[in-house]
Amino acid sequence: MLVIQDVSKNYGNFTALKDINLEFSAGVYGLLAPNGAGKTTLIKMLVTLISPSKGEILYNGTNITNFDEEYRDILGYLPQQFGYYKHYTPKKYLMYLAALKGIDKKVAHDRITELLKKVALSDVANKKMRKFSGGMIQRVGIAQALLNDPKILILDEPTAGLDPKERARFRQLLTELSRERLIIISTHIVSDIESIANEVVMIKNQELLYMDSVENICHTLEGSIYETSIANEELESFRKNHVLLSEKQERGSMLVRFVHKGSPEPEWTLKSPHLEDVFLFEYRDDLSLDV
Amino acid sequence: MAMRISLYESKKALTSPIILFLLVLFTVYNIFLIYNSSDFKKELHIANDIAKNYGLDITDESLLKLENDMQEDLSYLNEITSEKVGQTFTSSGEFFTNLRFEDQETYTEEQLNSFYDLYVKEMYLGTAKGIDDSYNKIDIATLGEDGIRSYGLTGSAADTLRKQFEVFEDRFEQMKANAEHKEWFFAGKMYFMHSLLFKSLFLSIILESIILIVLSTALITNYEFENRTQLVTFATKRGRRLMGDKLSASLIVSTFLSVFLLGSSLFIYFIVYDYSHLWGSSISSAFNWEYQFPYVSWWDMSLLTFLIWSIALFYACMLLFAGATFVISVLIKNSYFTFFVFAAIFAILFLLQGFMPKSSNLLFAAGFNLSSLALNPHQWFMASKGLLIFKYYEWITVLVWMVFITVFIILVIKHFKKREIV
Repeated sequence: MLVIQDVSKNYGNFTALKDINLEFSAGVYGLLAPNGAGKTTLIKMLVTLISPSKGEILYNGTNITNFDEEYRDILGYLPQQFGYYKHYTPKKYLMYLAALKGIDKKVAHDRITELLKKVALSDVANKKMRKFSGGMIQRVGIAQALLNDPKILILDEPTAGLDPKERARFRQLLTELSRERLIIISTHIVSDIESIANEVVMIKNQELLYMDSVENICHTLEGSIYETSIANEELESFRKNHVLLSEKQERGSMLVRFVHKGSPEPEWTLKSPHLEDVFLFEYRDDLSLDV
Repeated sequence: MAMRISLYESKKALTSPIILFLLVLFTVYNIFLIYNSSDFKKELHIANDIAKNYGLDITDESLLKLENDMQEDLSYLNEITSEKVGQTFTSSGEFFTNLRFEDQETYTEEQLNSFYDLYVKEMYLGTAKGIDDSYNKIDIATLGEDGIRSYGLTGSAADTLRKQFEVFEDRFEQMKANAEHKEWFFAGKMYFMHSLLFKSLFLSIILESIILIVLSTALITNYEFENRTQLVTFATKRGRRLMGDKLSASLIVSTFLSVFLLGSSLFIYFIVYDYSHLWGSSISSAFNWEYQFPYVSWWDMSLLTFLIWSIALFYACMLLFAGATFVISVLIKNSYFTFFVFAAIFAILFLLQGFMPKSSNLLFAAGFNLSSLALNPHQWFMASKGLLIFKYYEWITVLVWMVFITVFIILVIKHFKKREIV
């Protein structure tokens, strides 16, 4: 079990994270927050690249810094900006990373062949990565994170650069991997995790907002999500008075989805909240807006 | 696993186009340097022949034997000259002084070559006979006082240099008593072979190796940060210990590059220049006298021993330069800046002695640095090297800097273990 205990991270006077407490066991966790909320900072602490200014991170009761190699041995990590050597082939680069992960040469060779097949890169295994698309590079990144068959898999914005087909394949891959493994996926794209995460972690104002199932998080807006059609010219004044989640042109009028916590108007239709609704509501720009 | 990782790291430098290009360029330059100075190489067999036929030691007996044999060569010369021009000579030198350009065709090339060989032998014999006179004229104490005056030393600095010259005087007397100077070697004032090998060639190789070592060490150390792979590599099981592997790789690559440069150049050098019978000759031979003062080593060393110690010292310096570059690289995290910072420190250390007060012993202490050591390879282990005269100068410099650099390496590795990788 991975436990984050009273963790804060400061850079001079700037606080990136404040008093974060989290517990992770096997399963898929989605770390959902907008860009700049501190997801990457939290993840870099989880993979020992940076240390907390306060608090500690424990794996099975031991501080991960003290666990050192033993901890990183069970860790797979895909950073947000996956760096690679342009003039290396995926095979060569993965062989190098396998050595850094302490994997025997022969074992690494077989594992790399298997993983490249899994991420659909077998055909280009011996081609230099210089000419690879963003999606192909990201798939190399996913393969390297899985090299050591990690018990803890941490993926920072893993679907960046992937096309819809690749995203679907990736979600399928994660579902396959999620058995008896802890997977933490950081993202600002709700659909990446909505269907596969057992629990979602949301960070707001440097502090933990939610750590709960998608269902329970959605429940926080139960009975407050409505849809209604309004005339285009009414949109501006509607926007001023309600927290709009989405707006869509529909047969000459505007279909709006919004949050309202008081008595509804008769023409409004009550809707079931989605994770995206909570995300847009919690991270709305105008927090003073009455709901 | 550590070795496997070090080899992967080494490959990064050894497959770098700029490193390979420079390695080839420097090797070609060294070959050019060797061949460019080889116009006199045909004459070098004479010193070898003398050493082979009369032994390495110059004794009255061997000189007499040489002189007798040269009389036979002179008779041969006079036999031909009296037949062709009706003249005889007392020496080959006299023959060449009187030889007019238009008369050269009177003799075959083979005859002229044999006369010239005799001429060179006469020069060797003359120098050998004059060794005692030349060495008796050398007064080390006066040399010391001249040195103190020319450097403008006063106070404790002058006292120190004076004392060192006293130690040198003892060594000089011991060297004369051992007759180390009475051994055959290439005539220094004519061929400058010591300078060619240990000044021109060694110095070029040292500078080239430093450039390659600094570039490759900076490349290996900063590779992850410059390719933006630091988040992947330092989060693996190996973690920050990878920096230790990078240090090993830098030392492996430095070894390969310096051994390749020095090995290939020395191999070609000794193919071009024949030293076959002079390996055992003393480096303090009176013939190894190129400028105002002969080379006198602190220890009784043959050429071979001197060469082996020079190679060892060269290699030690190169490893230390690799270590120093590693320290700068970890702190600076940028290859280009590392190169310039290294160059600046190297230059400052070399110039440091010039900024020291001429009355203080700091003046000498400032000379104990790797830059001054590396830039004077022809004077390694020699007693006659100005303000760096100290007997154990090379060993003290290497040991002190080894300690410095090792401590810095330990500190930067410790610092790196706690550094935030972003």
